[in-house]
Amino acid sequence: MMPTRLLLLLCLIGPVFAIEAPDVDCLIINLKNVSCTWNKKGTPKVNYTFYSSFFNKKEKSCPQYLTENNMNIGCIQPCESGDRFMTFNTRLVHGKDRFKETHGLKNRVKLNPPTNLTVLNGSDFNLWFYWNHTSPAHLHCVESEVRFRTNNNNWEFSKVSPEIQKYCINSPSGSSRYELQVRNRIVEGCGLSDFWSDWSEPVFWGSNSSIDSDSVPLWMTLLYVVGAITLILLVVMLLQRERLKIILIPAVPKPSPILHDIEDWFQLSKGLKENFKASYNEQVCPVREYNYVSQSDSMNSDDSTSSVSTNQTHCSVSIDVNDPEDLYVPLSSSSSQVPSEEVLQVSD
Amino acid sequence: MKLIVFCLFTIYCCSLVKASYPMERKKLQEVLRELKMLKQLMMNTPPKDIEDCCCLTALTCFRETLLQHFGISGKYQKKLYKSLNHTLTVSTFGLNFCNTETSTTNCSTCHSHPKEKASEFFNRLESLVQRGLSRIN
Repeated sequence: MMPTRLLLLLCLIGPVFAIEAPDVDCLIINLKNVSCTWNKKGTPKVNYTFYSSFFNKKEKSCPQYLTENNMNIGCIQPCESGDRFMTFNTRLVHGKDRFKETHGLKNRVKLNPPTNLTVLNGSDFNLWFYWNHTSPAHLHCVESEVRFRTNNNNWEFSKVSPEIQKYCINSPSGSSRYELQVRNRIVEGCGLSDFWSDWSEPVFWGSNSSIDSDSVPLWMTLLYVVGAITLILLVVMLLQRERLKIILIPAVPKPSPILHDIEDWFQLSKGLKENFKASYNEQVCPVREYNYVSQSDSMNSDDSTSSVSTNQTHCSVSIDVNDPEDLYVPLSSSSSQVPSEEVLQVSD
Repeated sequence: MKLIVFCLFTIYCCSLVKASYPMERKKLQEVLRELKMLKQLMMNTPPKDIEDCCCLTALTCFRETLLQHFGISGKYQKKLYKSLNHTLTVSTFGLNFCNTETSTTNCSTCHSHPKEKASEFFNRLESLVQRGLSRIN
């Protein structure tokens, strides 16, 4: 009875003291090494021995352990580039405890960042960036991603197709500073990587000469100074010299609703004003129409009627004629006698 | 008389409206059942791990299984079948990974492979092709 109870007690308590199965997490680094860790749930309490193998290959023990606080937490070992398509078997052993797992590593690949990142100023005045990758993957299996920024502003991202290991920035500004980084991964056609590589070391081009670009040329500065001095002098002169002020800024006459003599609008001298006033009267000069009468007609007419008289007060107008012997005399309202061989009949 | 005709017409229209929903629902449920059957379609599928010298044998199994279950009536089925049968595909620089003169008699036959779901079948075919692409220069 007692042994039975003891056995029952051990069966109930046993699982409490059992070691929790470690979770092995593996990753292929740069298609050259496999890195496995089992410290996801914390540093293990015991030191495990790690064994692994790809399909159809001999199982090997770990050549290089990763440690933390003197405890084995992972293992890194070499592999071939094509091994990732095969099932990866792992085994952790500690005493009688054995934990087996299988892994599919086709997509669990992380490449190393690109190297030898260089920049060249091309003959087309564009900025060209070149890089290499160090993995054994073929060029058509690797795609890249570029990020660059200007003068420490926000990053701009751009994908680069497989087999291409260069990037171009068109017409770069000579006064800006460019910074560029690259990363890569395996493309979908060759088994897409779940992870991008880390960003490469940055490369720089240009200088951050934002101050120079904003500076004003010397001649413009002098021009501004001269212009300001001229303006100040002009203001001073305008304030001091009333004559100059009147010439440059004539007073605008203020229109008044009360009607004044229009002569007052003009600023004329007194003598000039007096001269504008009229000091004589001019009589109205009636204008009469003169008709030409021939000599024969004048002979038949009465002498009394042929005599004409003119009033000196009336204005007379001399008109040029072809015959110098012709005379033109108004007939009506005339008081003086004018001898003439031919008499003109005047009609009012 | 007119009122009676109008009432009968109204009842008829209402019955039509009420009847259309069950028909459409039934059709959609039928589509779901057929889709489920297709998803559970089991096919002889080569294993995940294929030895280099058994890749061509596996390719043949993939091709013939496709022909058996999907035929070549469709445009893309026909194109896929022809591509899997192309000389370039089966060449040394394609999916023929066997560089040694090792006999291929150790490779499993197609019917001996366990049946897997259609999704797993296509995933394994895709992996085989990706493996070939990663080896080509």
